[in-house]
Amino acid sequence: MLRATNITKRFDEVVALDRANFEAGPAEIHALVGENGAGKTTLMNIISGRLRQDEGAASLDGIDLPAGSALAALKAGVAVVNQSPMLFERMTWEENLAFGGFETGGFDLAAVASRASELAHSLGFSLPPRASLIEERTMAERVRLEILRALSFKPRVLILDEPTGVLAPSELGAFLDLLRRLRAEGRIIVLITHKLGEALSVADRITVLRQGRVVAKTTPAETSEAELARLMIGELPEAPVGPSSSRHEGGPALSIRGLSARRDGRLVLDNVSISLRAGEIAGLAGVDGNGQAELVDILAGVRARDCGEISFAGDQDEAAMTVIPEDRDLVGLVLDMTLWENLVLSRPLLKRTTRRGWLDRKEAMRLCGEMLARFRIRAPGPDTIAATLSGGNRQRLEVARAIASTPRVIVAHNICRGLDLAGTADVHRTLAQFAASGGAVLLISSDLDELVRMCGRLYVISRGRVREAAPDERNPETLGMLMAGKWN
Amino acid sequence: MIRAIAALALAIAIIAGALLALGASPLGVMAALAQGAFGNWYALTDTVVRATPLIFTGLAISVSFSAALWNIGADGQLVMGAIAAGAVGPYLGGWPRPLAITLMMAVGAAGGAVWGGICGWLRARRDTNEVISTIMMNFVAAQLLSWVVHGPLMEPSRAYPASTPIAENAHMYMFMPPSRLNLGIVLAVAAAIGCWVLLFKTAIGFEMRAMGRNRRAATFFGIPIARLSVSVLALSGAIAGLAGAVQVSAITHRLYEKMSPGWGFEGIAVALVARLHPLGIIASALVFGALDNGSQAMQRAQGVSAELVQVIQALVIMILLAFDTPLLARLGGRLRRAMPIAARSAEEPSDA
Repeated sequence: MLRATNITKRFDEVVALDRANFEAGPAEIHALVGENGAGKTTLMNIISGRLRQDEGAASLDGIDLPAGSALAALKAGVAVVNQSPMLFERMTWEENLAFGGFETGGFDLAAVASRASELAHSLGFSLPPRASLIEERTMAERVRLEILRALSFKPRVLILDEPTGVLAPSELGAFLDLLRRLRAEGRIIVLITHKLGEALSVADRITVLRQGRVVAKTTPAETSEAELARLMIGELPEAPVGPSSSRHEGGPALSIRGLSARRDGRLVLDNVSISLRAGEIAGLAGVDGNGQAELVDILAGVRARDCGEISFAGDQDEAAMTVIPEDRDLVGLVLDMTLWENLVLSRPLLKRTTRRGWLDRKEAMRLCGEMLARFRIRAPGPDTIAATLSGGNRQRLEVARAIASTPRVIVAHNICRGLDLAGTADVHRTLAQFAASGGAVLLISSDLDELVRMCGRLYVISRGRVREAAPDERNPETLGMLMAGKWN
Repeated sequence: MIRAIAALALAIAIIAGALLALGASPLGVMAALAQGAFGNWYALTDTVVRATPLIFTGLAISVSFSAALWNIGADGQLVMGAIAAGAVGPYLGGWPRPLAITLMMAVGAAGGAVWGGICGWLRARRDTNEVISTIMMNFVAAQLLSWVVHGPLMEPSRAYPASTPIAENAHMYMFMPPSRLNLGIVLAVAAAIGCWVLLFKTAIGFEMRAMGRNRRAATFFGIPIARLSVSVLALSGAIAGLAGAVQVSAITHRLYEKMSPGWGFEGIAVALVARLHPLGIIASALVFGALDNGSQAMQRAQGVSAELVQVIQALVIMILLAFDTPLLARLGGRLRRAMPIAARSAEEPSDA
C-alpha cells in the first residue's frame, strides 16, 4: 500500500499542496487527474523523494519513505517516468539506460542494450540504432526509453507523469495493456494524466486534485468524463468548439506539392502534398517523428528541401504564414526575455515596431499589452520575463503572437500538448475564430481527439508520406491504422 | 549590480584574510592601493588612462557575448588595431591633426574588425567554434606584432625592437599635461553609449540579444544568424582594435613587442562584472583600472607583490560567476561544445 498523509508543500507564497491524502494499493492502476498546476506532479515528486514536503508523510507498505531522498525512494521501489524525459541529451541511449537497473556492474553497454531490447521487445517497442545520441531521437522515443529505464529497477510502485501524450493511438492500446500487465504482477501503478478518457478506461480508482487539494476520490464506474472535468476545473468548462465545418471555404490559401526532404541521407518527407483553403482548419495526424518536425522546419524556412513547391494565394510575402513550433520553451520563446520582446521575435511584428532600424519599444509594449488583455494572458505586464509565465499562458502568448502577425495561414505543431482543459479550450477557440475570419490553419498533432474535434479535413502522416483521410475514415481505429502506415 | 558589489566585497574579504595570513596589514594595503589609484591628481588621471583600453575591450566582449558569440580574442584584435594604426601613423606628417587622428582610429578599428570578422566568417560558413578560433588568432596577432617590429616596421636605426614613431599630427589630443589624460576616454565613453544604443534601442541589437538568449528560437524566427555572427564579431573586433589605436596614438606613439598586458582578457572580467551592460562597463573598467594603477603604489608602500591585484581580479570574476548562474550556464554550454570529449564525462542537457 502506497500512502501519503496530509502532505502540505509551499513554494514561497504559493501553497502547491494543502493537506493532500493519497492512497494506492497493490495490483491497482490509480489515476491522478487535475489541471496544470493542481499539484499532481508535486505530490508525486514528494512521494518519489525529489521534493521535501513541509508537512505530512509518505509510506510504502507501512514503512516510511524518508522525506526528500530520491535514492531511498528508488531503493524502496518507487520509480518515476517523467513528464519531459530526464535523459542525458548528449549521451547514447545505452549510456542513459546504464543509469538504470540494467547495469549490473562492469559497465557493459552491450549487455545493457541486449537486456533493454529484450524488455522493449516484450513491451512491443523497438529501440533506436546502437550508439545513437539522445538529442537525435524523437520525443516519443525518449519517453519509451524513460519508461524502460524506470522499469529496469523492477519497481514496486511505478509513477507515470503524463506518459501518453507522445504515444500514437496504435501504441496507446499496447501501452495501456502494458500497464494492466504490470498491475497483474501486483505492482502499484500511478498514472498522472489530464486525459480523462484514458483515466476512465484504464484506472481502477481516480483521485482528483484541484488547486493543491484532493477534491474527490472515485472509481470509473461511479463517475463520468463530464463530472471529472467539473471536479477538476471547479465549474463546467465552456462547450468545446466543434470542427470547422464551414463549407463556404474560400479559395486556396496554402498549397504544398511534391515536397521531399532528406535528413542524414534518410528520406524524411516523401512527395508530400497538402492544400489548405481559406477558412478551414485541416489536421495532420501522426505519431511524432514521422516527418512532422521536418515539415514544420521547412515551412518555417529553417530547413532546406530537396524538391517540391510551397505556394500561397496572392503575394508571396513572408507574412503570409506563421508557424507555431512544437517546443515552446526551446524554440517558440526566448524564456529569459520579456513578453514584449518575445512578441517582436515574429518578423512581421518586428517590422511593424521598427522605424528606420530603431526599435519602437513603446509601440511594442502597447501591442503586447493589447495582446495580454485580448487573449487573457495572466501576466503582470509586457515587461514580465517569459519564464515566469505558466505553460498555458506561454502557449496563449505564442498563439496571440501568431494571430497578431496577421498571417493568412497558421501552422501549429502540437500546441496543446501539456495544456490543461481551460488552456486548450482557449487556444482552440482562438484558432477557430481565426479560421472563421478567413484564415487557414494546419493543425499538426498526435492527439486524435483534438484533431477529430477541431478539423474539417484530416491528413495522416506516416514515415514521411502524407495521405488525406476520407470522411468515413474519421474514427480512431481507422486513423490509428493509417498512422501506423497501413495504407496502399 | 548589487551582486557585482557583493562579489567585490566577498573578494576583498578573502584577500584581507590572505593578507593577514601573509603578515601584512589589510587596511594598510588597501589604503596604499587607494592612495595609488586616487590619492592625487596624477594617480586619478592615470587610473582613467588605464581604464580606457579596458572600456574598449569590455565593450568588445559585451557585444559579442550578448549575441552568445564567445570572443576570447579581443587581445589579438586589439593588437591588430595597434599594428594597423602604428603602420599608418608615420606617414601622416602632412595631414591636418583631426583627420590624422580619425584615420588612425579608422584603420585601427578596421584591423580589429578583420581579425574578428575572420572568426565570424569561419563560424558562419564552417561552423568553426569561435572560442577556439579567437584564442588561436591571439597567438597569430602576437607573433605578427613581434615580426613587424623586428622587420618591416622596425625603426630606422634598427637598434630596438620597436616601430618608427608615428607623426606628431597623429598624436591624440591630450588634456592637462603632464597628466596622460587624453581624448581616448571620451571615445571610450562614446563607444559605450553607442553599444548601449545598439543593443537596446535598435532592431539589430534586439536580434543580437535574441540570438544570444536562444539561438534555436532566433533561427526559427528567421533572424539571420550567419550574417549576424560575422557582423557581430567584426564589430567586436573593431571596438577592440580601437583600444589598440588609442594606445598607439595617445600613449606609446609607436609599436613595441608587447603592446597589451592582457587587456583583451581583462576585458572579459570587466564585461562580466558589469553583467555585459555597456554603461556598467565604464564603471567596472574604472574599478579594474584603479586596481591596476593602485597595485604599483601598494607594492612600493607595503612590500606586497603587485601580482596580488591579479589574484583579486581573478577572485572577483570567479565569485561573480558563482553568483550569476545563467550567464555561466550559457558560457559553459559553449565551452562544453568546444570540448566535446571532456563533455562526455559530465554532461547536462545543453543550453542551446
